[in-house]
Amino acid sequence: MDDYRLRQTKQKFGVFWGNFGLPLIFIILVAVFSIANPNYATSYNFLNNLSFSSYVGISAIGMTFVIMTGNFDISIGSMLALVAVLGSSFIPRVGGVVAVMLTLLVACFLGFINGIFVTKLRIPAFITTLGMLFVFRALAFIYTDNVPVYISDRFWLYFGNGKLFGVIPFPIILMGICYILAYLLLRKSPVGRYIIAVGTNSRAAALSGINVDNIKILVFTLMGLFVGISAIINSANLGSANPGLMGQDYEFQVITAVVLGGTALAGGNGSLGGSLVAALILTFLNNGMGLMQVNSYWQLVATGLIMIFAVSLNKLKFYLLGQGEF
Amino acid sequence: MVKFLKLYEKIGIFILIVLAGIFLAIANPNFLKTDTILNIITQGSYGIIVAFGMVLAITSGGFDLSVDAVVGLTSVFLSLLIPDIGIPSAIIISIIISCFVGFLNGVIITKFGVNPLITTLSMATIIRGASLLIAKGRQIPISAEKFSIIGTGKILGIPTPIWVMLVLFVIFYLLLNQSPFGRHISAIGSNESAARISGLNVTFVKIMVYVLVALTASINGVIRTSQAMIGIPSMAPGFTLLVITITILGGTSLSGGKGNLIGAVFAGIFISMIYYGLNLVGVQYFYQLLSVGLILLFALFVDGLRKRYLEAAKIKGIRV
Repeated sequence: MDDYRLRQTKQKFGVFWGNFGLPLIFIILVAVFSIANPNYATSYNFLNNLSFSSYVGISAIGMTFVIMTGNFDISIGSMLALVAVLGSSFIPRVGGVVAVMLTLLVACFLGFINGIFVTKLRIPAFITTLGMLFVFRALAFIYTDNVPVYISDRFWLYFGNGKLFGVIPFPIILMGICYILAYLLLRKSPVGRYIIAVGTNSRAAALSGINVDNIKILVFTLMGLFVGISAIINSANLGSANPGLMGQDYEFQVITAVVLGGTALAGGNGSLGGSLVAALILTFLNNGMGLMQVNSYWQLVATGLIMIFAVSLNKLKFYLLGQGEF
Repeated sequence: MVKFLKLYEKIGIFILIVLAGIFLAIANPNFLKTDTILNIITQGSYGIIVAFGMVLAITSGGFDLSVDAVVGLTSVFLSLLIPDIGIPSAIIISIIISCFVGFLNGVIITKFGVNPLITTLSMATIIRGASLLIAKGRQIPISAEKFSIIGTGKILGIPTPIWVMLVLFVIFYLLLNQSPFGRHISAIGSNESAARISGLNVTFVKIMVYVLVALTASINGVIRTSQAMIGIPSMAPGFTLLVITITILGGTSLSGGKGNLIGAVFAGIFISMIYYGLNLVGVQYFYQLLSVGLILLFALFVDGLRKRYLEAAKIKGIRV
């Protein structure tokens, strides 16, 4: 009886942690920073932070899908830079609107290539994308000769600096739309169920008639699409596309957000809401540390520690729920 | 096809080296001089030394992405310690500190059960931040003249890095192919739970593997620092990719259990030849980056093909 009760308590705690753990951390974080620094708790700073969090948040959607199928994509930092320099160099020739569409197409195509490599050649995704990380970055350098591309097109810049009703930054709206669409795709469409099936047990999925390769390719293509959107927002924020500086450590931040959000590295089990809250936590934390004038090298150390901590925390959650050993 | 792949596995990398050699010899008459060849091997040896460690890690079914960060950490500690405690003790202490990083990697991977890729990627970030903190973001010059012997000196007319590589090769070869420890690594890489059930101390072997990777990375850091005579916290960016490329191109299977040290040596020399050729043409650094990425993808392509055909052959009942 005691054993049973212990297990029940464990499970209750696991469920509670899974549902409310991250929002709780977020609230505590914001409260601590607000008390420590009066400049932190202003609506201006909050809106700005929300807008910045789209940088990690939007790609975190794609990464959640990719990790849910049991894969990884660490090429996204370089992909961001390559897509941004390619896309922004189209602007003078074809105009802003077409350039944005072309950018998204190119981004999808790069993700598609990753997907082909992973599925058709059966190379582990981590290694494929590690190779691509260097190929994309090198191509970005070669294409621009290491000269930043300056952007003056108003349509393009609106993606980063535009404000709806003059108050709400456009990236927030964009991030909201992306999350709603992704949620519908994952929870309300067959494709979402296929993604979960492939991640949980790809052999069983293949035997029950799902085309596993196509689902994986789709997931990598979607990853590319979201990176494309982030590339436009990021380059519009900066007013230029820099082949060397854009997307440094990007993959790391995004994977940290997704893992912190509770997506299991083994695949199958993912949470879009978790990824969003985790992206908010990371952005608000960085901003808070910046306002408190913490050395940026400490921030590097902190991000690494958070990553390991997040994975261990996930393990703990699944252990409490009785879905794995610690 | 299976036969071809088997043949490729054995001598493929030699053919690549010979082809590259013929090409370079035609392109540049200076190529066939002893100095040039020694220079190419020396340039290759930096990556090869760390590839020895990486071969062990990948054979055990793991991975280590923190090697470039460890190189930077070693460099910083060397530059800080040499003025205070002298060259030999500084080297020993820096190497011990790096090995401790490897130990931490191993402990987190085995005891907390965190994925090796995530662990070492996070560790790389932490170590890079820590090196920058310790060096306060500066590059620290080293004034002890004698220290430069390690990287630039020659013994019997052959540069020291090559000697270091040869000594490490013998040690790692004996370790991997002739010792129980090596057999344990292969066993764990082939089937970890089987290895555990048959009574191997999986935790110990894995931790040792990550310590050894950090050791090789640290030795690489010592050599590089002694050549540059400056402690650089962000030394060797992108070095991890080079090491992994050498390891995979050298025929170590990504699925674990099969390590190939000799292949790694030749793969390193081959990539060094490519660099030399690119330098001859006078292209920029970015093209070198691109070429390593493409070579890695090619090596992976062949590795994937091999796996696919071996599986198909097994199903058909062909003995391989």
